[in-house]
Amino acid sequence: MKDWPFHLLLFFIAGTIIVVIGAMFAEQDDRAMLKSLRKRWVHFFLGCLAVVVVMLICEHTLASVN
Amino acid sequence: MARGSKADRRAGDPTVALLLTWLVPGAGHLYLGRLGVALAAFVVIEGMYALGVWFSDGLFLSYLPPEMRGRFAGVLTPEAGNLGALLLHVKSYPYLEQPVRWAATMDLGTTLTSASGVLNLILASRAHLDARLPERSTTPLQDPPVAALASWLVPGAGHVLQGRRARGVAVFVMLVGLFALASLLGEGVNLDRERHFYYWAGQFLLGLPAIVTEFVHGHPRLTHDVAYADAAVVLGCVAGMLNVLVMLDTFGFAEARATGREGLDAPSSDGSSGVGEEVA
Repeated sequence: MKDWPFHLLLFFIAGTIIVVIGAMFAEQDDRAMLKSLRKRWVHFFLGCLAVVVVMLICEHTLASVN
Repeated sequence: MARGSKADRRAGDPTVALLLTWLVPGAGHLYLGRLGVALAAFVVIEGMYALGVWFSDGLFLSYLPPEMRGRFAGVLTPEAGNLGALLLHVKSYPYLEQPVRWAATMDLGTTLTSASGVLNLILASRAHLDARLPERSTTPLQDPPVAALASWLVPGAGHVLQGRRARGVAVFVMLVGLFALASLLGEGVNLDRERHFYYWAGQFLLGLPAIVTEFVHGHPRLTHDVAYADAAVVLGCVAGMLNVLVMLDTFGFAEARATGREGLDAPSSDGSSGVGEEVA
C-alpha cells in the first residue's frame, strides 16, 4: 500500500472518533464516559491489531493466490 | 402491577405501529387513531418522495453499475426507510440498459427521496413511542424523535437541545471534522452518489453538513487520479454511520426522561447511576 504511514494516521483518527462516540453511547454520565475512554481505546486498537494479524495470516496461507 | 397499568395505557401494539409506518408513512398513527398526524406525515413524507422521483426521473438506482444491480440493491439505501415507496419505485422504474444524460435536478431528486427514507424511520420511532406512551409529558423540543431529527440534521444539535452542550460540541467537531477531512483528502469524490453509491448512503446519515457540502462542492470533474479517494469515501461513510449512534443516544436519553427511567438505565462502569443522580 502506498503511503501507509499516512493511512495509519487516518485510521488512528477515525478509530479514536469511533471509540469516543461509542463511549458516549454507552455511558450517559460524562465523568464515567471520560474514565472509560482509555480502556475502550486500548481494547479497540488491540482488537483491530488482532484482526490485522488474522487477515495477514489468511492472505499468506489460505487465501493466497498466484 | 405497575407494568400492567402501563400496558393498559398503551394506545396499541408498538411493533405493529412501527412496521405499518415503515411500509406507509402515517399508517402507524392511523392504527393508533391519530388521524391528523397520520395525514400530515403521509402528505409530507410521501410528497417528498414523489417530488424526488419527479426531479430525478425515478432513476437513482440506475446509478449502479450493471454488475451491482439486482432485486435487493435498494435495501442499503436511505430510501429503504420508506419501504412502501421504494418497493413501488423499484417496480415502476426498471434499471436503464443504456447510459443516459441525467436530469439537471437529479441530485436534488435523490436527496429528497433519501431524506424521505430517513424522516420516515424517525416517524416510525415516534409511532412506536406514541403506542407505548400516548400521554407523555415532554415539551416538543425534548421529545425523543425531535432529538433524533435534530441530531440527524446537525450532528450534536440533539445533545445541545437536551442541555448536554459539551457532548453536542464534541460530536459536531469530531463527526463534521472527519467528514471535512474526508472531503478535502478526496477532493470531493465522496460527494457524488453516482460515483460511490453505497458509501454515499452512509455519508448521507450525517445530515445537513453532507447535503449542503455536496450541493456546494460536490460532483467534481476530475482529470487526475485522487491519491486518497479510497480513504475519503470510507471516512465520510464512517462519519455518517457514527451519527446514527449519536441519534440513538439522544433518542434514548430523551426517552429515559419521558418515561422517568433516567438514572436507572445504562449504569456507568464505576457503578454510579449516571445522569439520573445529577437530575435528582
